[in-house]
Amino acid sequence: MSNEKKALVPLPFISSSKTRSGRVELEGYQVAIISVVSGLIAWQFLSDFIIANSLFLASPTQVVEALVSLSLSGELWAHVKTSAFEFILGYAIAAVIGISTGLLIATSPFWKSWLQPWISGLYATPTVALGPLFILWLGIGIWSKVLVVVLLVVFAVTINTEAGIRSTSERYLEMMRCFGATQRQLFLKVSLPSATPFILAGLKLGIGRGLIGVVVAELFGSRLGLGRLIGASADSFNMPELFAAVAILAASGILMNSAFSNLETRLVPWTKD
Amino acid sequence: MSTNKLEARALTKRFGDLEVLHEVSASISEGEFVSLVGPSGCGKTTFLRIISGLDTADGGAIEVDGRAISGPGRDRGFVFQSDSLLPWRNIFDNTIVGLELAGRMSPEDMARTRKLLDLVGLAGFENYFPRQLSGGMRQRVNLARALAIDPELLLMDEPFSALDAQTREIMQGELQRIWEEGRKTVLFVTHQIDEAVFLSDRVLVFARRPGRILEEVTIDLPRPRTMATKRDPKFVALVDHIWKLIEHDVRESVLLEHG
Repeated sequence: MSNEKKALVPLPFISSSKTRSGRVELEGYQVAIISVVSGLIAWQFLSDFIIANSLFLASPTQVVEALVSLSLSGELWAHVKTSAFEFILGYAIAAVIGISTGLLIATSPFWKSWLQPWISGLYATPTVALGPLFILWLGIGIWSKVLVVVLLVVFAVTINTEAGIRSTSERYLEMMRCFGATQRQLFLKVSLPSATPFILAGLKLGIGRGLIGVVVAELFGSRLGLGRLIGASADSFNMPELFAAVAILAASGILMNSAFSNLETRLVPWTKD
Repeated sequence: MSTNKLEARALTKRFGDLEVLHEVSASISEGEFVSLVGPSGCGKTTFLRIISGLDTADGGAIEVDGRAISGPGRDRGFVFQSDSLLPWRNIFDNTIVGLELAGRMSPEDMARTRKLLDLVGLAGFENYFPRQLSGGMRQRVNLARALAIDPELLLMDEPFSALDAQTREIMQGELQRIWEEGRKTVLFVTHQIDEAVFLSDRVLVFARRPGRILEEVTIDLPRPRTMATKRDPKFVALVDHIWKLIEHDVRESVLLEHG
């Protein structure tokens, strides 16, 4: 009975196979790889023949050499460990505070009016500039850096969380009300899941901002960390070590971003079509 | 106490100066399939939403099984024009959502929900997500979701209007088949006259400005109705009759909105 009925409805989720033309067609990721490799070759060429002065520019091979020698001496690990610790701590604190504040202002008009001017104002303020002040307050250790990271990440998360809850589709809410949902059920079963893509986007935005926070805060004054390594290398015109530190930061940013994209595909697949 | 499933008395609704509904009364008896047709802006959807509790009337009273109602309740299941399936829930979890909200997730409830998905032709699709389904299939879920709470009254708001013509024909036949299985009391809003005549025991023809019932047309065509029924002279005459009733209003609404 139902089998023939089913067959009458087309199934759009069976994707059609790709058409093939005679010419060689490159996939998007292949083009991307070629782009990166040619960029590296150009960089190597530039630093070997055009700006052949290691006071100004280090070539990719020199950077790799610096990475190897820094890690063999154990120095690199100490810097990475410190920066990673500062980042993870600040990012986690910002995520918790950011999501809860976002949920609070999305559900309470009073708290929204009370907090909104501060959130908008501080989000637009380059709070990294307060780094030297935080060193005076909290000392040269990790906590002055953690605070900078928190301030850079927290508002992006708050604003996205609030936007996510606010943009919940009225159709879904109405449907659930029709089935007798309570306010609490509306929040937990509609608003929260529908805000999840926004919250993840805010957290993703926070990765880049948090990395900037760590480096800049360390540049203002620190004993260890990748920012410290960059500052010290610049002072001694050691370009290979400077680029090595930047390369590690870039790699960790890329890694965390792609891990996040992966997480999004698994947690909120309905936004990925 | 009335013996009717639904009793609406003198429902009045205004939006500002506009009287959307003017003392609309209707009685629906148990197991009856009643359609509301009329030009756009005649208040048929507003009438349905007031019955569902999504909107409130400015005057009048509604009783389901003799009990006065105010606000949404699980004695009425609503099938929405846009399917409103939650994209993060699979088909089974979407279908059972009404029972879940009521805290009814016993093995029997789950088994009954599965049987409903089978009834609407979606057995085997429990773990699919809404985005993987066609418009027709999503409307089947929409219907199964409303039936899952086992409502006294099934309210349907132009559920097939977003579907293409062929899918729509099939869904009309499907709805009739599903309705024959359980004989729920149905209130069905549509702007398509032949759809109303095909499905209904009775058609309430609405007029606009102010929204009111112009005529009740009893459809005494034998059931089950088939595609051939739509070519039956009696069917054609009924459609023609209803069209003549609302023709003037429809022309006026078209001119007002697009002229």
